[in-house]
Amino acid sequence: MENVVLVCTAGMSTSILVSKMNKIAAENEIEINIEALAQSELKNYSKKIDLILLGPQVKYLLNNLERDYKNSEIKFDVIDSVQYGTLNGKAVLNHALTLLDKKVI
Amino acid sequence: MFNKFIQILENKFVPLASKLGSQRHLLSIRDGFISIMPLAIIGSLAILINNFPIVYYQEYMSSLFGTEWTLFSDYIYNGTFAIMSLLIVFSISYNLADSYNEDPLLAALISFSSFIITIIQTDAQGFSIPFQWLDASGLLVAIVVAILATEIYVKTMNLISSKKKQEKGTMTPILNRYFSALIPTIFIFLIFSLMRLVFAQFGIENIIEEIYRLIQLPLMGLANNLLTALVIVFIGHFFWFLGLHGTNILEPVIQALYLPALQENIQAVSNNLAVPNIFTKPFFDSFVYMGGSGTTLSLLIVIYLFSNSKRKRDLMKLSSTQSIFNINEPILYGLPIVMNPIYFIPFILTPLILTLTSYLAILTGFVPKTIAMVPWGTPPIISGFLITGSISGSLLQVFNIFIGILIYFPFVKIAERIKE
Repeated sequence: MENVVLVCTAGMSTSILVSKMNKIAAENEIEINIEALAQSELKNYSKKIDLILLGPQVKYLLNNLERDYKNSEIKFDVIDSVQYGTLNGKAVLNHALTLLDKKVI
Repeated sequence: MFNKFIQILENKFVPLASKLGSQRHLLSIRDGFISIMPLAIIGSLAILINNFPIVYYQEYMSSLFGTEWTLFSDYIYNGTFAIMSLLIVFSISYNLADSYNEDPLLAALISFSSFIITIIQTDAQGFSIPFQWLDASGLLVAIVVAILATEIYVKTMNLISSKKKQEKGTMTPILNRYFSALIPTIFIFLIFSLMRLVFAQFGIENIIEEIYRLIQLPLMGLANNLLTALVIVFIGHFFWFLGLHGTNILEPVIQALYLPALQENIQAVSNNLAVPNIFTKPFFDSFVYMGGSGTTLSLLIVIYLFSNSKRKRDLMKLSSTQSIFNINEPILYGLPIVMNPIYFIPFILTPLILTLTSYLAILTGFVPKTIAMVPWGTPPIISGFLITGSISGSLLQVFNIFIGILIYFPFVKIAERIKE
């Protein structure tokens, strides 16, 4: 099962989005695990990560992700700010699925 | 025309903000402060419990637990806020080493020792550590020592491990790791010990005191000034307007300048002295950033009371619970406020005005200065009471929310007229 983490400064503002995404994924019977993390937790996150999605407010961390994960299998991207602001779980889930080369819903 | 203006801002400032926000040392300073937050909050609340300015309360507590009842909280304060520099040297070093994928615990231990080497004193009884300088007054030295020691550690470890790769070791990995750390450690301790000696040669016995007097005190004086506060609020919101987490990017600076200011206040309260500083970290968190950056709690109330737009009302319902806990990303990106010319003015003006009104309210004595710290997610009205120990702190928050409503109201109306 793919493991996706959404990262923002404290992991709080993304948590609602994450619960929406998980709900939609469950409804469509997609096997995926999505979690919200604070940026400082990312480094010591113990599970295997397949995809990191940054909240638009911390898109400046992209440089650091490139530095740390360039040579790894982990993919990363920034969440679209309108999708983020409207807490559009379906759109962000599709974004994640596309990046993971899976079928979108 | 405005789009062109935003384009220029984006090209000029986003790279700058990105650089600040992703700079390794600034990040580790910020994460270092965040790591000690639980301790700092509990230490500050302990002093608040001792010093609620209500005579009846003081008498009641004394009758209940005896006159020594305040010692209980004093001990907690002395083990937390009063040794902030010790905590910070450890936690910044830990976070910095972690960012390099080096053993963070080892680096933090070495930095901790280096700090002690730097500040150790000799007195009649032998060696001693100057306890009164381990609070926020030692922060600057603590930050510098943490970064310096960790950097040297990381660099020398890299040097060694690149050599080691050629010859295969037979020791078990963990032993190997700690043995190879021996040389860097000796090297680092020599540097700090030597530095301590050189300072002593120039007649400087207490390095913290000297640095505090020469650099930290003037810096803090500069920080505790209305103009500086307004500039910091402005920059934070300007970055937010561009879509970047402004307050988070500025956090290392804010923590390093305004947490010591709070500590001075707490110290003064517990010694029954006049409280010195108006601008502290909780000042901004609780009086200005209500509902999050831009005081968007006021904006939500305007939408709740006066807006007929279904989209706006849906967004308000979606984000109202979060807003009570000062989280507002959905509003900033959803309304949106980010890059939206209509909300540029109220989003930046409201926090600036509220900084001013809060400053005046405290300056004129209507509201006491802040003497405690609460998590930034603490809902307004509760937080105002807790950080000042006075109900007038809550009243100031209500007043500020009202001012925010007045500023946001016309712009919400303009936005709706344009939509039509």
